[in-house]
Amino acid sequence: MKVLTFGWDFPPSRNGGLGVACYGLTRELATEGIEVLFVLPKKQETIGTPKFIFAGQEHKTTVIEVNSAIAPYHSGSSQVTSVIGYHSDGTPKYATRTMLDEVHLFAIQAAAIARTHQFDIIHAHDWTSYLAGVAAKKASGKPLILHVHATSFDQAASNNVDPSIFRIEQDAFNTADTIVAVSEFTRRIIIEKHRIAPEKIVVVHNGCDTFIPPVHDPSLKELKAQGKKIVLYHGRITIQKGVDYFVRAARRVVDVDPNIVFVISGWGDMQNQIIRMVGELGLSGNVIFAGALWEEERDRMYQTADLVVMPSVSEPFGLVPLEALQHGTPSLISKQSGVAEVLTHVLKVDFWDTDAMANQILATMRYDVMRTQLASHGRQEINRLSWREAAKKVVSLYKNLVNLIRA
Amino acid sequence: MLSVCPYFHVHQPYRVKQYRVFDIGNDTEYFNDGSETDLNNRRIIEKVANKSYRPTNKMLKELLDAHPEFRFALSFSGTALDQFEAYAPDVLESFQELVATGRVEILADTYHHSLAFFYSVPEFERQVQKHQKRIEDLFGLTPKVFRNTELSYRNDLAKWCEDNGYLGIMAEGWDKYLGWRSPNYVYSPKDCRSIKVLLKNYKLSDDVAFRFGNQAWESFPLRAETFADWVHAHHGDGQTVNLFMDYETFGEHQWEDTGIFNFLRALPSQILKHPDTSFKTPTETILSYDSTGEYDVPDVLTWADTDRDLTAWTGNDIQRDALAKIYALEADVMEINDPQLTEIWRKLQTSDHFYYMCTKWSNDGDVHAYFSPYQSPYDAYIAFMNALSDLQLRVADRVMKVRLKKQAAQEAKEKRAEARAKAKELAKPTVRPEPPLELVVAKVTIKMRIEAWLRHSHIGRKIWGLFHKNKK
Repeated sequence: MKVLTFGWDFPPSRNGGLGVACYGLTRELATEGIEVLFVLPKKQETIGTPKFIFAGQEHKTTVIEVNSAIAPYHSGSSQVTSVIGYHSDGTPKYATRTMLDEVHLFAIQAAAIARTHQFDIIHAHDWTSYLAGVAAKKASGKPLILHVHATSFDQAASNNVDPSIFRIEQDAFNTADTIVAVSEFTRRIIIEKHRIAPEKIVVVHNGCDTFIPPVHDPSLKELKAQGKKIVLYHGRITIQKGVDYFVRAARRVVDVDPNIVFVISGWGDMQNQIIRMVGELGLSGNVIFAGALWEEERDRMYQTADLVVMPSVSEPFGLVPLEALQHGTPSLISKQSGVAEVLTHVLKVDFWDTDAMANQILATMRYDVMRTQLASHGRQEINRLSWREAAKKVVSLYKNLVNLIRA
Repeated sequence: MLSVCPYFHVHQPYRVKQYRVFDIGNDTEYFNDGSETDLNNRRIIEKVANKSYRPTNKMLKELLDAHPEFRFALSFSGTALDQFEAYAPDVLESFQELVATGRVEILADTYHHSLAFFYSVPEFERQVQKHQKRIEDLFGLTPKVFRNTELSYRNDLAKWCEDNGYLGIMAEGWDKYLGWRSPNYVYSPKDCRSIKVLLKNYKLSDDVAFRFGNQAWESFPLRAETFADWVHAHHGDGQTVNLFMDYETFGEHQWEDTGIFNFLRALPSQILKHPDTSFKTPTETILSYDSTGEYDVPDVLTWADTDRDLTAWTGNDIQRDALAKIYALEADVMEINDPQLTEIWRKLQTSDHFYYMCTKWSNDGDVHAYFSPYQSPYDAYIAFMNALSDLQLRVADRVMKVRLKKQAAQEAKEKRAEARAKAKELAKPTVRPEPPLELVVAKVTIKMRIEAWLRHSHIGRKIWGLFHKNKK
């Protein structure tokens, strides 16, 4: 079976959990015998074919790059500057377009690709590819699966959604044959906000890598040597992620135990606001901004931390606690996350309840036995959450849809 | 001849509120949740009283009045009795009315529904004594048959019961220890001569306690008539059918809409329909039948889940940690000897706290397989450990004061003794020190010579006589 897949981001491009999810799923689909034709919009900063590590299965995946400047996590009206071609002297031609223009451009290109390739089914990841998926369906008549990694409601962390993105979501959802949501949390949003029939939406929880990662030298050695405990936030610094609640909880924690240090790793549009907030709350001595950490640096920080906190206001899934557990570090996550549905051995809290968040952080630092158990049992728990399991569910969806068309 | 021995266990713990790290050292109330959640103990008692205790007691009283043959046993945790007294005194009165019929036996138990036997036998004994006193005060009778928390049982517990004058003890009739034998006979605990053990028929008991309202169960809906037939089927193959279950089965675990009350109402008459069937209390059962064999349980046996062991309370690290820490306070709490502080310590020993921390089923992803007022086992552990941390601080503080006081008392005592000794010393008659021996000898020699001269020489005697004559 051959699947035409649309996405915008693929490792090692450093954009966040969505690329990681596409990678994990695609890799396991290949081992399940699915041939994946992955279409990515070309992005100036990541010129060159993204590197794939498919453990000997590269031949089954072909990457097609399309000339577009889609960057994830932008609102529909935000301006994107991209290379649209080259002058005769070799210098690039730039054009500034909105995100929406890019999405539409991607769709036009998708239709052309769909006409020139052979495949059985279309799988489009996230809103930036929805229109591409819809265009490919219209061009080829093949069944369409939309994979919802997030909705406009998550990014806005409220009901003030970008109306143009919402419209794209709703139109695409209506056209799709099946919608895959990464959690029940997201499925409910699609049912309640987009008014899509519940039976059309299937939950496929994200997985995580289950191999044991290499152990690195710890970071923040001096702090550790002083007996300080480290609490880590890792993710974008944006309203959806609830970093402001994390900082408020930190204030409450430090009042009780000044030996706890909070590390914020990431970047985002709320960065300056958070830095100001840390200053205003008098937390400069207890909060470290580590910048965006990737790969080994990130792993090192996961391994150094005593606790990882994911305080998201609205998190469709949330890979952070799984990554943390992989490195043997327990997590505290918000109940407003999809991953809370599949994990038992984590601490859970309402993102807005900073008092409870502070209490749980302090308790984790006080009670070593609990910290050890959260890590060891959590480690066992994530073994059940492999990408293999997710891929198996997706394969059965593919088969159902293809059989339906044949029948 | 076949008898039926029903026994219902009444228990409510003092649930620990969401006690936070910030509260440690600032808040000494651990059990006073006032929220609309299931951590609010008063609210739970009121809810369960309405759903279970009040309607069930009313029905049990009617059944006792209607059937003079009807008998059963109850066991109460002291924590349940205390909460009835505080929040629903009419429930307590209705239990007293049942017992007043003389056909309801009360079993011995630990006051705080604890696992103390497995951690500290002296503390276990204190809780059993406290429980006995409470039952005597409330119901005017002394329990003769023992049951331990969660029906936990082991050979040495049975031995303890024998040594402490009980007639018998209750236990799960578990295949692993019964082998081919039936639970429907009376057995002797291993190494015991006088007492007997009554074994729960878990098949029939759990048909009511667990399966009754399960629509997927093949025997749903279970009618009293059918159930009585199952009981009667043991005629000729047993002496006693022991139906042990939580009292709250009626109306709380099995809601009214399952038909559980109609079942209960019809049960005694259906059981008694068979002419050779009777009801017996545990004591009557023990006195009626001889032991048919030995029940040998070297490891802890309970009535909980499919493992029938203590793993629901002690299976993971956080549970073992919490248990170890609460019992580690024993010596200090005993030294402080403050009834209020001891009571708080004991309320934290109630087995439910550790059950809420169970993660056994979580591994199967089935987190809702058990009932807990906390959202997760870790929330339960955090609340418990925070409250325990506060108690530890109080105990450490008090023990220091007690010791300082003792030390001060000891010092004062020593000082007094010293002072007394000094006074005694001063009161003694003063003795002039004896002069050195040579000097005495020298002096005496001169004196003696003069005296000898006076007494023995002629002139001397004359002089002596002169003096003495004058004196006369």
